[in-house]
Amino acid sequence: MSFTFRLMLRDLRSGDLLTLLLALVISVGTVTSIGLFIDRLQLSFEQESANLLAADRLVRSDDAIPMNWKEEATAQSLQYAERTSFTTMMFANNALQLSQLSAVSDAYPLKGAYLVDDELFGTGYGLAETPKPGKVWVSSRLASLLNIKLGDQVEVGDATLVVSKYLVRDPGSSTSAFAISPRAVMNMADLAATNVIIPGSRVRYSLLLAGERSNLDDYEQWIVPQLKEGERWRTPTQQGDRIGDTIGRAESFLLLAGTLAVIMSGVAMALASSRFVKRHLMQVAILKTLGATPKLLGRVFFQQLFALFVVGAGIGLGVGWAIQELIASLLSGLMSTALPEPSVGRLWLGAATGLISMLVFCFPLMAHLIKISPLSVLQPNAKIELNTFVIYLIGFVGMYGLMCIYTKGFLLPSIMTAAIAGIALLVAAIGWVAFKLGRSLTSGATSGWQIGLASLYRRLVPNLFQLLVFTLIIMLTLILVGVKSSLIADWQQQLPEDAPNHYLFNVQANQIGPINEKTEQLGVAKSDWYPMVRGRVTIANDVTIESMYPDGRGEPELYDRELNLTWSDTLGKGNELVEGDFTAEGLSVEQRAAKEAGLKMGDILTINIGGNLVTLPITSIRTVDWGSMQPNFYLILPKSALEDYPANFVSSVFVSPEEAQPFYQVMAEFPTVSILNVGDVLKQVQTIIGQLSKAIQLVLFCILSAGALVLLASVRSTLEERLEEGALLRVLGARAALVRQALLVEFGALGFFAGLIAAIGAETCLYGLQVFVFNAEASFHPLLWLLGPLIGVLVIATIGIFASRTVLKVPPMLLLRDL
Amino acid sequence: MASNTAIKVSNLTHTVTSNTGDLTILKGINMQIQESESVAIVGSSGSGKSTLLGLLAGLDVNTSGDIQLYDQIFSKQTEEERALARGQYVGFVFQSFHLLPSLQAIENVMLPAELKGDKDARKKAEVLLEKVGLSHRLTHYPNQLSGGEQQRVAIARAFASNPKILFADEPTGNLDEENGNLVIKLLFDLNQSQGTTLVMVTHDNDLAKMCDRQLVMSAGQLTEKAL
Ligand SMILES: Nc1ncnc2c1ncn2[C@@H]1O[C@H](COP(=O)(O)OP(=O)(O)O)[C@@H](O)[C@H]1O
Ligand SMILES: [Mg+2]
Repeated sequence: MSFTFRLMLRDLRSGDLLTLLLALVISVGTVTSIGLFIDRLQLSFEQESANLLAADRLVRSDDAIPMNWKEEATAQSLQYAERTSFTTMMFANNALQLSQLSAVSDAYPLKGAYLVDDELFGTGYGLAETPKPGKVWVSSRLASLLNIKLGDQVEVGDATLVVSKYLVRDPGSSTSAFAISPRAVMNMADLAATNVIIPGSRVRYSLLLAGERSNLDDYEQWIVPQLKEGERWRTPTQQGDRIGDTIGRAESFLLLAGTLAVIMSGVAMALASSRFVKRHLMQVAILKTLGATPKLLGRVFFQQLFALFVVGAGIGLGVGWAIQELIASLLSGLMSTALPEPSVGRLWLGAATGLISMLVFCFPLMAHLIKISPLSVLQPNAKIELNTFVIYLIGFVGMYGLMCIYTKGFLLPSIMTAAIAGIALLVAAIGWVAFKLGRSLTSGATSGWQIGLASLYRRLVPNLFQLLVFTLIIMLTLILVGVKSSLIADWQQQLPEDAPNHYLFNVQANQIGPINEKTEQLGVAKSDWYPMVRGRVTIANDVTIESMYPDGRGEPELYDRELNLTWSDTLGKGNELVEGDFTAEGLSVEQRAAKEAGLKMGDILTINIGGNLVTLPITSIRTVDWGSMQPNFYLILPKSALEDYPANFVSSVFVSPEEAQPFYQVMAEFPTVSILNVGDVLKQVQTIIGQLSKAIQLVLFCILSAGALVLLASVRSTLEERLEEGALLRVLGARAALVRQALLVEFGALGFFAGLIAAIGAETCLYGLQVFVFNAEASFHPLLWLLGPLIGVLVIATIGIFASRTVLKVPPMLLLRDL
Repeated sequence: MASNTAIKVSNLTHTVTSNTGDLTILKGINMQIQESESVAIVGSSGSGKSTLLGLLAGLDVNTSGDIQLYDQIFSKQTEEERALARGQYVGFVFQSFHLLPSLQAIENVMLPAELKGDKDARKKAEVLLEKVGLSHRLTHYPNQLSGGEQQRVAIARAFASNPKILFADEPTGNLDEENGNLVIKLLFDLNQSQGTTLVMVTHDNDLAKMCDRQLVMSAGQLTEKAL
């Protein structure tokens, strides 16, 4: 065995190498576990979104899908499927019903599954196949309208199909795809025989694609440039804004958490390295007097560090993997589907973190170590000082670089680095003043208070450094807690559990009474009724929309289609007035729509309602909370303008899963009423939010544990001196209680100030994060100001006393010997 | 004299820079020490004895003048070469023992041989520890040994590399009389039996008198003490 490794094994016994190893394991482990976990969550989100799209990517066209699109997909090793959707009449038992029909190829759906049932109005089970040729699946609503059951025949154009399932949900259904009319799905093979698609029919053709990310990207590059009008390329993330937004913020949070983990592990490495070096300075000097050459020492330490890295990174990666598996299994109960396996390729991140933190925190110190003059052995009382400025600088720059690699950007690292620099200055200033004061207020050694405060002052520089470490860790904790709670509160407020999940459309005035009665009987919660008249904006400020957009392209939503109009004299739930007077005799426009169309207060719009033109000025602008799931309108007109038109009524209801079947049955008595079920989308969002909240809490817990370990390491790093002092005090006759009190005062004071400064830092950071990273509104966090000092005093005093418990128990004789 | 010159010092001056300005600790020292001689350096605290010893042993480089140990001239060598020379020619015993706390007694003694890549390190260390009367303490750690025992381990370690010159800086300074005497006896025995040159800094007059010569350090200058 080589000299290096014999020395190393002997060093292991003393625990110094172990501390360094532990720091490395914590560093690699935390970054690995969080990195892998984030990766799995991202993969899972992508899959869930893909389920909503029924594919990884989709091309939509108003014309039949050209052959070469499919050939290219095959050439790129992509799977594909086709879906053709159109509205048509369906006949059965002498009844006829206009229905939304889609014909799908056998490979459909590429992602996700149909939800079907064998019972009318059943809640459904997943089925990853399509109707066989000759069969058709119809929604319970369509079945009840046509008065058919499983096994009955329906006619679609010239073809006759047999009903084989009740369709509950289409895998490709998203918010916009929810059709009001009854739905059915059939096999693509039967489509030609129906003869319902004739030139000029309004048909939506979709080509669905699935496969490797890189192939999909290549395909996108190929197809997007050749898309014509009416043809669109769609990715899962464009699906519902709300899900994308939720996931985006969660990712920002996890990224932040990972970044903070990087900082914490940097601190751990720095602490462990400087402890290692301090404890080895004299040893190296002695080895030099014994004839060890700088070259030999350099080789020995390099080999030791290398071995340490291999072992530490190995264990760290293993521990990291295990921890994220643990988090995933804790989460599994909440997940609708199992989390995808983490990619082994992501492991490099943890290993790189370990390597870089060793390079920036360990190597410069080691280089110092082997340069120590052997003469030090002759000055037994001389304290060997390190030139620490350069070392800190390297560490600081290294940490910044590491964060940049980690976040693939500069914003977050810059905010965090600025915060750390600011905190360092603040700590220096506040700590210096406070300790000076503490010293001047006390003199003598009669109470633990005096001894504790005096001790703080005596070791001013190391204590300030320790204060900085404490402050940093507490600040990072507070930031995470702050971001977490505002994120989760925000989500929960966005989506209450009982948000309406069904809309009722096309309700006639005389049906309102009976429906109210039935829903009350069922105990189903229902919003107000809104009258609804359809109309189209034709002229804006004397210019016709047609002349503004002659080719009918690029129109803002407000002009693009027939809108649902309503009247109301009070601002509805989820609406907020931005400008103007809602009760004035004019139009109230939703803010985003107004902005898109370039409209402002006082502009005049003409609306075509069933052939009659209504011209009104804009008298108010409001924002709408689209997430509230209440009926919402772009345009609200004064009652006088609309009351003479025949109106339908619309309302939203919340139907719990148990109420679903009776509710659908009741509503079947009103065949003309359309029911729009948005429950699936809502549930999706709620599930994701639930998962994310849990995931975030677990990640937070992980980071806090790592933080506690770093705190412990930091306390341990100054323990020798404290132990020595404590032992001396006890030799001089101090009772253990006095020593304990002194330690309590010392650590308590450190903790209190650390917590206080951390609260200042965290509040500042949160401001920056909310404004720049999360794009949210800045808010004040009074809780932090309480939590900071409290955590500081409690946790640090506890850890301090725990770490120095030996000084209070062991006979002082033994302690002094050990030092 | 027939014997070889072990150490030759000419016009040695040493100046250190401290935050209070330059401080000349040694001012023009000339001397010679012959092989297997025992020499005591005495003088008041802070007079520069340890500094001189460190320079003689090649632990630092002097500002001007020459130090020659046999054929080695430290001021003309790199630290790498000096380290090799130390391993080959020099043994050291310190006032505060300076054993490596993480190593057992035997491992401390093995170190010099291990540094040279000697395969018999353990066996040689066992023999040396037996010589200093510690064969029953081989696997003890320094903090499990008394001061006297620690210093005996340090002496065993100093002789482990078969040094030609042994430097001792107040070897009994931290020991009681009984242990001090034991250590002194050991040093002289080994000095005699192995023909090692002994250069020792001490405050102890009795100890100084046991040496062949006494040199007095005063205000950075070295003078021979008349016997
Ligand atoms: N590197 C140094 N920097 C500043 N002063 C030093 C240095 N080395 C030694 N001295 C000073 O030089 C004087 C001589 O030191 P030293 O050789 O240890 O004395 P002695 O061993 O005789 O007691 C002391 O005053 C000491 O403080
Ligand atoms: Mg001295």
